[in-house]
Amino acid sequence: MPSNPTTSRRLTVVISQGQSRNPQKREVEETIAARAILGRRIDAVVIPHLYDLAADSESFQRLRKIDGPMVVLGWLFPRAIHWVLDRQGIRGQFGDVELKDPSEEEEDLEDEAEETVAEDAQEHVADQFPRPDRNIYCLDLKIRPSADAFLEEIERIARLELEGTGTTDAQERFQQPTNQTALAIDGSGRLSLDPAASQMPDEAPVAHQDALLVIDEHPQRRWYPVIDFSRCTNCMECIDFCLFGVYGVDAAQTILVEQPDNCRKGCPACSRVCPANAIIFPQHKTPAIAGAQVDSGGFKIDLSKLFGAPDRDEDPLAAAARERDEQLILAGRAAVGLNADQPEEAPKISPAPAATASASPPASKDALDSLIDQLDQMDL
Amino acid sequence: MSEPLVFWMGQFAAELPTDRLYSKNHFWAIDQGSGRFRFGFSAYAVRLLQDIYFLEFSVEPGMAIESRQEIGSIESKKAESGLYAPSSGMLEAINPEVLRDPGAINVDKYGDGWLMELSSVDPQPLLHVERYCAHLAEAWEVAQRTIKGQANA
Repeated sequence: MPSNPTTSRRLTVVISQGQSRNPQKREVEETIAARAILGRRIDAVVIPHLYDLAADSESFQRLRKIDGPMVVLGWLFPRAIHWVLDRQGIRGQFGDVELKDPSEEEEDLEDEAEETVAEDAQEHVADQFPRPDRNIYCLDLKIRPSADAFLEEIERIARLELEGTGTTDAQERFQQPTNQTALAIDGSGRLSLDPAASQMPDEAPVAHQDALLVIDEHPQRRWYPVIDFSRCTNCMECIDFCLFGVYGVDAAQTILVEQPDNCRKGCPACSRVCPANAIIFPQHKTPAIAGAQVDSGGFKIDLSKLFGAPDRDEDPLAAAARERDEQLILAGRAAVGLNADQPEEAPKISPAPAATASASPPASKDALDSLIDQLDQMDL
Repeated sequence: MSEPLVFWMGQFAAELPTDRLYSKNHFWAIDQGSGRFRFGFSAYAVRLLQDIYFLEFSVEPGMAIESRQEIGSIESKKAESGLYAPSSGMLEAINPEVLRDPGAINVDKYGDGWLMELSSVDPQPLLHVERYCAHLAEAWEVAQRTIKGQANA
């Protein structure tokens, strides 16, 4: 390793494997790992599915020791990745990722103005307790079929983080994407994933043979909520609602998921009562609950009920109460329905305009759309 | 053909041709004789969905289908939904045109944008246009609540 301090900064690429042993997924994961470490000053760590890992797992212990920038790739929405890591003390700022889900990109542009205006209406936990000033870039491996686009994005981030020269180039690439794999050399001295581009002997690929770390753990599948503290307002609705003792508070009276494994598998009820949409269940089938960027166009109105899905005419709070009852009964306890000490009922069912705006402003604005604008003119 | 009935969704006029039957979950159905019906989405359904860009069937021709069975899914720019069979019957055909380009539903929902054909259809759940229109008056309230509830969720 070079001892020169200016070249000692490194970028860590973390690959969180899928839960299944799907060969296509494995190939994407392995290709990214193998090719990322060809880049100078890039290390790669391959870990099991990060949501399943326990706090004392070797994977998290390793990741906690890394204080430089990270790119984390996994089969989860980026928000879910970020806040799972945050919970484990692997914290940082949201690195700006340019590789987006193609279906969401268009709307991102439209929505940016609204987001800016809408922010800071309410104090969030992450504002009170700022995270360290290092970037964590999270990428959802589901958004592209092969490794190439991810490697290109890693290269862009590496340039930005290690040489501070990513932006212009990245913008060009963003506007004129290429199909190359970013392995090409351009001879201009920018960081390249091609080993031939390395001019320093100690940075040749041979020096990177130990840059790839594969952590072989086999965690059981888990199910628990993950709190997005950039949204959480510490309102305590979740701790009041959950009757399984999942939530608690820390010494500073901030909400936390204290007993994740008390959570009932498949039950997303608390995320439905959260006024700030801050609770993520990364494995839930509904994207908005699994951590999709609901404020950037990923949110879709589910019309299944209107098109004849088995009849459950219920609002989110009723759904939450039903799901909680189902779990209470499964656990051999008595159902409580809607009437279990919930002050949250009022704000959820008919939010006051101000409350709505502060709870999830971009989401409501987005989803409203022209259709809802028309609905608003109707008397309900 | 007589003038279509109109159901007002706010400012939007959903036209309902009178030459066919309708299901409560917003399919139209044209009797092709011998218990075979062609189905498509009503103007009400298309208006709720708006620009449709994804359509997938989980069933294939030759399969027997129960009423309200989930038979696929549909997605538009702003909404998504499962597809639920309007009645029971034997699936005979899926319109290859809408599989190729679901936008065909937006272009010609009552004609070339048809969805599927079923034989041995149980006509019992199918409604005459007046009854469908009356059903919409009730369904519209629920639709608005559903959409607003989710938008505010």
